[in-house]
Amino acid sequence: MSFGAGWYPVALSNGLAPGRSSGTRLFDQELCLWRDTEGNAQAWEDRCPHRGMRLSFGFVRGSRIACLYHGWQYDSQGQCRHIPAHPDLDVPATIRVASYACAERLGMVWVHSNRETRTGTDIPIAPREVVPVRSLYVDCAPAMVMQRLAAQSQNAGSNGEPLLSLDAEGENVIAGVQPYGKAKTALHIVLADHPLARRDAQRAVAVWAEELRRRLEEEAPTAAIEAAP
Amino acid sequence: MTELTLHNYELDDQCYKVRLLLAALGVPYVKVDLDVHPGNEQRSARYLKLNPRGTLPIITEGAFVLHGAEAILAYLARRYDGTRAWLPDDPAAFGLAMQWLAFAGGDLQAASLARAHALLEVAADEQEAIRAARRAFRIMDDHMTKREFDDARWFVGATPTIADIALFPAIALSRDFGIDHDEYPALRRWMAQVRTMPGFITMPGIPSFH
Repeated sequence: MSFGAGWYPVALSNGLAPGRSSGTRLFDQELCLWRDTEGNAQAWEDRCPHRGMRLSFGFVRGSRIACLYHGWQYDSQGQCRHIPAHPDLDVPATIRVASYACAERLGMVWVHSNRETRTGTDIPIAPREVVPVRSLYVDCAPAMVMQRLAAQSQNAGSNGEPLLSLDAEGENVIAGVQPYGKAKTALHIVLADHPLARRDAQRAVAVWAEELRRRLEEEAPTAAIEAAP
Repeated sequence: MTELTLHNYELDDQCYKVRLLLAALGVPYVKVDLDVHPGNEQRSARYLKLNPRGTLPIITEGAFVLHGAEAILAYLARRYDGTRAWLPDDPAAFGLAMQWLAFAGGDLQAASLARAHALLEVAADEQEAIRAARRAFRIMDDHMTKREFDDARWFVGATPTIADIALFPAIALSRDFGIDHDEYPALRRWMAQVRTMPGFITMPGIPSFH
């Protein structure tokens, strides 16, 4: 498959706790992921309009995220609402962070890669309960990871979403593929079924994933590993 | 000086480990700040008598002298922690704590070197130091990923130990040498836990907010 414009998983839902932020990348574009205290996941361009600091280094307070540098606060629409150095200022509407369409399916946070696309992009994946295992970051090109895994899996995305069905130690797992950057791929791994011995299954699949990462990286050119940030 | 004294450099991640445990234990101490950069005071004749390795931290307590962050953490835990929580007596928990202390003083030193190279002009093979630091962070993230399946939030046992203190600064300061926390989700959650420890203190490069 090719990596065209569309929906991509960028994190496991359970790893993004309310009131937390984290950084990631999609096609080498820096994203700030955060979840407000009401539980809504957000994906923004990872850059404070003030000084360009990564917003993912900032901190969430209620329904706003504040930049670590100077405390500028942004609401869930990306609109700047408060500038501590000018507490009485009615903040201009032009001070705004660009955001991405964001949804949660299969225990993963999904982002639409086209930042400008806000309408008509309802995610075409049906909601389904899964058991999260882990996000696996591999120092390999996304196309190479897809190619290697496609040989041993079925594509689980009915509309071309980057989803793979894999057998891991007898467990049926789904891996969402995140093209992080040129030389790095993230796999967001969940159990498709609800095994009775849930923790044992999670642990077994986590160990399987470590081995998968080792095998993939062994096949990758060393140069790509050294170049990865 | 007979009272507990820490020979310290504020920007040194190894000294921060000791300051962090002393703060968590609530132990009063005297802090002597050295001119490490650019003065290299830790390698002066006076300090080489205390520690021939020419490194910090060093603690003194009366005639007793101890150097090296991990040994100091173990000493302080035994001497000042009556609860025995920070360095457990249970053989398995003790062994695991020592395993991670050795890791902090071994594999993870690559991260300290990469940071010292980036900030303090210390000579190093930058690429090799960063490669080794990433490898160490990955081992830590894999460990905490599996711990989370059992709802465990610390490296060893159900409460923080000196292993958590010894492991925290390298990853918390990794942005100083260009390694983001993006690909260590379990460590991000663990670092948020560490910040909730009673007595938690910051250092330059580790903000209190999160």
